[in-house]
Amino acid sequence: MIYAKRIVRCLVFIIGLIGLLTASSFVFQPKNNMSEFGMEEVSANGILGEKEHSIDVLVLGDSESYSSIIPLQIWKDTGYTSYVCGSPAQSLDYSQVLLHRTFEKQSPKIVILETNAIYRPVSDSSAAIAKLADHFSVFQYHDRWKSLGWHDFTGKSKFTWTDDYKGYRYNARVLASTKKDHMVKTETKAEIPELNIKYIAEIKEFCDENGAKLVFLSTPSTVNWNYERHNGIQNLADQIGCEYIDLNLMNEQLKINWEEDTRDKGDHLNHFGAAKVTRFLSDYLTETGLLTDHRPDADYAKWNDSLSRYESVVKNA
Amino acid sequence: MFAINSYFSLGYLLLFLPVSVGLYAILPQKLRRWVLLSSSCLFFWAISGKLIAYLVFSVFSIHHIGVWLSSIQQGCDRLLETAPKEERKAIKAQYLKQQRGVVAFGVIIHIGILLVLKYTPFFAENINTLFGALHIPVTFEIPSFVLPIGISFYTLQAVSYIFDVYRRKIQADRNLIRLALYMSFFPQIMEGPICRYSDTAEQLWEAPRIRYENFMFGSQRILFGMMKKMVVADRLNLLIKTVFSDYPNYDGFVIAVSAVCYTIQLYMDFSGTMDIVIGTGQIFGIKMPENFERPFFSKSISEFWKRWHITLGTWFKDYIFYPLSMSKPLKKLTSHARKRLGNHFGPLISGAIALFCVWICNGLWHGAGWNYIFFGLYHFTWILLGNIADPLFIWITKKLHINRNNFFYRCMQMIRTSILVCIGELFFRANGLRAGLTMFQKIFTDFSLQTVYDRSIFTFGIDRYDCLIVLVALSIVFIISVLQEHHIQVRKQISKQNMVVRFAAYYALILLIVVFGAYGKGYIPVDPIYAGF
Repeated sequence: MIYAKRIVRCLVFIIGLIGLLTASSFVFQPKNNMSEFGMEEVSANGILGEKEHSIDVLVLGDSESYSSIIPLQIWKDTGYTSYVCGSPAQSLDYSQVLLHRTFEKQSPKIVILETNAIYRPVSDSSAAIAKLADHFSVFQYHDRWKSLGWHDFTGKSKFTWTDDYKGYRYNARVLASTKKDHMVKTETKAEIPELNIKYIAEIKEFCDENGAKLVFLSTPSTVNWNYERHNGIQNLADQIGCEYIDLNLMNEQLKINWEEDTRDKGDHLNHFGAAKVTRFLSDYLTETGLLTDHRPDADYAKWNDSLSRYESVVKNA
Repeated sequence: MFAINSYFSLGYLLLFLPVSVGLYAILPQKLRRWVLLSSSCLFFWAISGKLIAYLVFSVFSIHHIGVWLSSIQQGCDRLLETAPKEERKAIKAQYLKQQRGVVAFGVIIHIGILLVLKYTPFFAENINTLFGALHIPVTFEIPSFVLPIGISFYTLQAVSYIFDVYRRKIQADRNLIRLALYMSFFPQIMEGPICRYSDTAEQLWEAPRIRYENFMFGSQRILFGMMKKMVVADRLNLLIKTVFSDYPNYDGFVIAVSAVCYTIQLYMDFSGTMDIVIGTGQIFGIKMPENFERPFFSKSISEFWKRWHITLGTWFKDYIFYPLSMSKPLKKLTSHARKRLGNHFGPLISGAIALFCVWICNGLWHGAGWNYIFFGLYHFTWILLGNIADPLFIWITKKLHINRNNFFYRCMQMIRTSILVCIGELFFRANGLRAGLTMFQKIFTDFSLQTVYDRSIFTFGIDRYDCLIVLVALSIVFIISVLQEHHIQVRKQISKQNMVVRFAAYYALILLIVVFGAYGKGYIPVDPIYAGF
């Protein structure tokens, strides 16, 4: 009898705890996707404010991704909608969080993962917290206690904001790269951390389950990329059955000029380099035959508004 | 993902510990000890991998040395039973010599491994500096070794076992598994407490079944430890890291605040870890010795060290201080000094020599660096001065009609002791002795309250809200400490309340950790400080 009583008591305690964590997660969850509401990485999370099931291509990755891909140019060239969920020094645990968040209201057919993030070590603690935050967001947003207001206890989450540039970060600065021969052929493979391989497997599985094609993309960078890394990613892509495009080996097509197309000595591309990468990507997306041109669709009229604002800024810069 | 790298890692708290406890709970008594041993090996392996070989070697060697000592003792006893009275002294001396040889062999092996792994780079560096100063053209290559976790702790346990067998306090254990359990029990391997064989070996071998009360009390203590570490120690880390790594850019006030914060951090980190360690032991029904007894209520440095890292202090007392004090040369010195200096000051000289050795060892045990040696000597100086000046203070307070048991007087003593401790910790944390001296000097030569007036003090890693939450958590710890000082057992008091009140208390503690814990993006949790020693 006493054992039964204790078990019931433990169950009541656990149920109460789950209730408490759920309630606190409700309170701590940002009520909008803007920084004033406590949202992190606002530009990447701008996708939450996009119209439901309107995004065709999702791009995940670190600063290489938002420096190299211009969604509004893809829109202009092809009529495909894309969004760059890139954030500085993004690690795969956060890429996975963004992937899951996106698929709650979107159904992109292609997910592009910029490969620099695959080599960034994921700390065990941040991976574990991300897993817990999957169920109880209080583990991710607990630090918002400093800025909680009454509306956090009463209001529902409603994400209304989106980035006009769809995650791309415009930068036209030129600072030439001193290194030009960063892709010296070798058989050596750079080692990918074990935990990261696990994350990639989970991301691939998630994409397969949701009918999305996962593509690895290495954008040009003389600082972050080399042949060892290329081999490591190629090997991983072959193992999990995933397409891999390494733009560092395709300069004859891209024609990246390292004197003019980088903003920080080859670390990241500038706007001119990004335009070249994006042109290539537009062609690639068209070739896949998976996507529809939305330009004639009136529901997508706002994309044209964004495009004209973007073009006026780029022209005036 | 759920890696095990400390007692605060989610891998340990959410996976390793629950699985170990679960297996322990469902298996019969004979298998439980195997659960403990395999969990301990797995834990060690998860952190130090192949370096587990050092621990295995230690276990085998103390087992062998214990048995060796025991056989010498038995041989001696057998001879003494039949030997004529006049030969007994010679037999005893002969066997004592043999035993001392074995003890020396065992101690040299264990302390030798520790010295080589931990101190070779320090000694090599200093010899190179010395040779450089003397223009001797010889330079030693500075090696670097990877230390197995807890080597400073389990080595002391091994040495205490050898000494205790030698002193016949315990019988040599012929059961290798029991010895292995004593040496490797996973909750204590990383940061202690430094247990004696008589403290835990038998309990671990018995492997009592898990009792509901123990499970509840142990879990509560683990939560309390997590609160200390995650809410206070980790939150203060940003400020401490910022100031200590860039001290030339901060004024004396900021440095003083950082020294106080570091002292708090060290206490919260280490005592928080001890709460997890002892709480884990309690879940398994193993009672481990306490390592802290509210040290900041100490009225002198000497008392402080009886309340702070107790098991290390008693180890030094039992295996260094007493043997030295009781050695023939020091005994002789005491009797000479007693004749010349009287009963108070006479014994102080030999006591000071033994104390000096203890504090040099204490400093070096904490780390291979001059700042650690300084830290040891700093405490040695205050303890010695306290011993010398005690009669003078008693005389002065008597003359001034001050009641030494007066609450206000005791508070002043506690504050004075805490200030002295904070100064010691400043040197302990500083990046080298020179940095420590500069920082200490700046407190007096560059003191300014400018950072308070312009509120820039809240921009060095912790803001006003952080300070507030640290103060709230410290208040909780303080209230509980006061209650404990008055022998009120808080957990027992809570357990007497009805279910709603009890659950509310537990939920409040959990929420305090989840919401106010300094984890996730933007925080750098402090590495378990004592695990590094």
